[in-house]
Amino acid sequence: MNAKRYFSMTTIFAAALSLVFSCGQQQAQQKQIAQAQKEARVYKIGLSLAITGPTSDAGNPYSKGVEDYLRFVNEEKLLGDDKIEYMIRDDQYKTDVTKRNFEDFLTEGMVFYLNYSTGSTLGLKKDFEEEKMPVVPASFHAGNLVDSNYIFLPIVSYSSQMIGLSDFLVSNHTGGTPKVAMFIHPSAFGRGPVEDTKNAVTAGLKMDIVEVVEHGKDLDNTAMLKRLLSKKVRYVLCHTVQSPVATLLKDAQRLGVIAQRFGESGKLTFLGVHYTGGNDLIALAGSAAENFYWSTSYTLTSEAGSGTLAQLALAKRYGRDDKAANSHNYTNGVMVAQIAVEAIRRAKARGVAVNRANLYQELLGMNGYNAFYPLTTVGPVSYSATDKEGVDTLQIYRVQQGVFKRVGAPFVSEFTKKVM
Amino acid sequence: MSYFFQLVVSGIVVGSIYALSALGFVLIYKSSRVLNIAHGQIIAAGAFITYAFTVFVGVPIILSFFISLVLTFFLAMSVERIFLRRLIGEPIISVIMVTIGLMSILDGLIYLTPFGTENFSFPEFLPKTPISIGGVSISWTQLVGVIITFVLIGGFSWFFKKSTVGISMRAVSDDQLASMSIGISVPRVFGLAWATAGLSAAAAGSIIGNITGLNFDTLHAFGIIVFPVVILGGLDSIAGAIVAGIIMGLIQQFAAGYLDGNWGLNGTADVMPYIILLIILLFKPHGLFGIHEIERV
Repeated sequence: MNAKRYFSMTTIFAAALSLVFSCGQQQAQQKQIAQAQKEARVYKIGLSLAITGPTSDAGNPYSKGVEDYLRFVNEEKLLGDDKIEYMIRDDQYKTDVTKRNFEDFLTEGMVFYLNYSTGSTLGLKKDFEEEKMPVVPASFHAGNLVDSNYIFLPIVSYSSQMIGLSDFLVSNHTGGTPKVAMFIHPSAFGRGPVEDTKNAVTAGLKMDIVEVVEHGKDLDNTAMLKRLLSKKVRYVLCHTVQSPVATLLKDAQRLGVIAQRFGESGKLTFLGVHYTGGNDLIALAGSAAENFYWSTSYTLTSEAGSGTLAQLALAKRYGRDDKAANSHNYTNGVMVAQIAVEAIRRAKARGVAVNRANLYQELLGMNGYNAFYPLTTVGPVSYSATDKEGVDTLQIYRVQQGVFKRVGAPFVSEFTKKVM
Repeated sequence: MSYFFQLVVSGIVVGSIYALSALGFVLIYKSSRVLNIAHGQIIAAGAFITYAFTVFVGVPIILSFFISLVLTFFLAMSVERIFLRRLIGEPIISVIMVTIGLMSILDGLIYLTPFGTENFSFPEFLPKTPISIGGVSISWTQLVGVIITFVLIGGFSWFFKKSTVGISMRAVSDDQLASMSIGISVPRVFGLAWATAGLSAAAAGSIIGNITGLNFDTLHAFGIIVFPVVILGGLDSIAGAIVAGIIMGLIQQFAAGYLDGNWGLNGTADVMPYIILLIILLFKPHGLFGIHEIERV
C-alpha cells in the first residue's frame, strides 16, 4: 500500500466515521425532541358565553380576560412545555347554544369548563354532574350550588354579597332600624338573594325590608322612588345589571333624592351587588352614579395594586383598549382562567394526570395553606367539599368623582356564615 | 295631590316617547301594510349615530341629532330599496319574515361596532336642575324629549293630511292598484315610508338614549315594548299612536304609583298595560283608531 493510497483510505474512513457520528448525534437530538414532544401535553379548556347578544357588555371583556391570560400562560411557558388549548365560543346568551357548545367541547376532550349565565348554569347542572366536569361560571347565583358537586363559584354568591352589603348598611346606619327596599332583576338571577337576605334579617340582621321591587324596562322611576320615600325607605339594595340601575339613579338625581352622605335622612342611598356596578354603570349613569355603593370581591384598576398593575400590563400586551383593560369583567375573566390554570399546575406538580377527576380534586384541595392567591381579588380562593364559593371576602367601593374608590377593608359578614 | 300630578307628568313623558317609538311602525304599516320587526334595531342605530357624531367626531349634540335623522332617513330608505323593493306584491308574511332577517343582520352589524357590547352615555348638555312646579318635577332631558316628540308627530300629521306626497302615501295604503292607476309610484311611496319611519326611530332612539344611557339591549327592546301601543292605537293611525302611547304611559305610572308595593302587588306597571290592551281589544278589535275595513264580496 503506497502512501497516497493509505492517505486516501484514512481520509475516507475518517469521513465515514464523522458521518456516522454526526448522524448518531442528530438521531439523539431528534430522539430528545421527540421525547420532549411526547411529554409536552395539551390541556383543553372550554368557555361558552355571550360575546354578542344580551349581557355581552359583560361577556365581551370577560372573554378577553380569559383569552389573554391563557395566551400569556402558553407564551410564558407557565406550564412548562405543556400548552392550554382554549376553546371560546359565543352563545349569545342562549342556553340551547351553550349546551351545544358544551357538548362540542366534550368531544374535543375538554378537562375544565368555564360557563357564563345563571340560566345556562342551572340548565346544564345535570350535564356537569353526569360528565363530572369541574365548572367555574360567571354567574354567582347561590342556586347553582344546590344539588351540585362540580360547580365552583369564583367569588361569593350574590346572596352572600347581598347579605354582606346589608351588614355593611346596618353597621353604618345611625338612628333606629333602617328601612330598606330591594330593586331586583325579574329572573332567577335577580330573585336568588331575596329569601337569603330575609333569612339574614330573621337571623338577627337589624333592618326592615319594606319592599322588593322587580323592575321592568322603565323609562321613568318617579312613581317608585316617591313611593319608597313615602314609606321612609332610606336604602335601595340593587341586584340586577347596570342599565336599569343607571335609569333609576338618573331619576333619583333629577328628583334630588340621592343621599350625599351615607344614610342621609329623607334621601335614598343606593347600593348594589357585583353586576350592578363597575365602569359600565358610570358610563351609563354619568354624574348620577356618584355615591353609589358597590360590592364585589375583585380588585379594581382605580385602586392601584400589584394585581391590577399586572392586569393592565396583560391587557396592554395583547392590545386591549382602556375600556376592556379597566373593566372588572376583564378581571373576572382573568381570574377564572387563573383558577383553571392553578388547578392544572397543582395536578402537574403532584405528578397526577391532568384530567377532569384530578382537577376536581385539586379544586377541592384549594383551602387553608393551599388556598390560591390570584392577586386579582381581595382575598384568597378557597374551596372544599362543603364550600364552593371561591373568594369569601367582600370589598365595598363607592363612586367618588367618577371612579370607584375602596371603602374600608375586605370583610366577611357574620350573617353570611349564619345563613349561607 | 302633587303625587298624582307627578304621576300624570311622568306618564305623559313616558307615553309621548312610546308614541314616537310607535310612530315608525305606524308609518310603514300605513303605506305598505308591513310590520317592521327590525324597528328596535333602527331606534338603536339612530341613537348610536347621534352619539358617534357627538363624541367621536366632536359635532355639537344638536347638530349630531339632525345628522342622525338624515342618515337614518337614508339608511331606512336603502334597507327598503335593497331588501324589500323586490317583495312588492308578495305575500305579507314573506315581507315580515324578511324584516325578521333584517333584524338579525342589523344586530350582527351593530355587534361589530363597540356599541353592540359596550355602554355609553351622552354628554350632559342640558341643565341638571329639573324644572319643579308645586312639587312636580320634570328633567330638561324629558322636557326636550316631549317637545321633540310633539313637534315630529305634529309634522307627520300635517304631512299625511296636507302634502301631496303624504296623501299619495295614504292612497297607496288604501289601494295599491288604484294608486298605480292614477300614476302614483308605489315603490317610491314605500321607500319614503321606510325613510320617514327611520327618521322617527332616530329621534326616539336619541331621546331614549339620553334618558337611559346607551345600551344596545335596552334600546332595541323598545321595538317590542311599544308593540302594545301600536296595537292599541290601531296599526295605521298616527293619532292612535299618540293617544295609545300616552294611555300606556299613564297606566304604567299609576300602576307603579298606586298598585305596586301595596296589597302584595309587584310589577303591575309592566302587566297592567297588557291587561288594559286586552280589555280594549275585546270591544275595539282594530284598536282605538284603527280602520275597520269592510270587504265586499
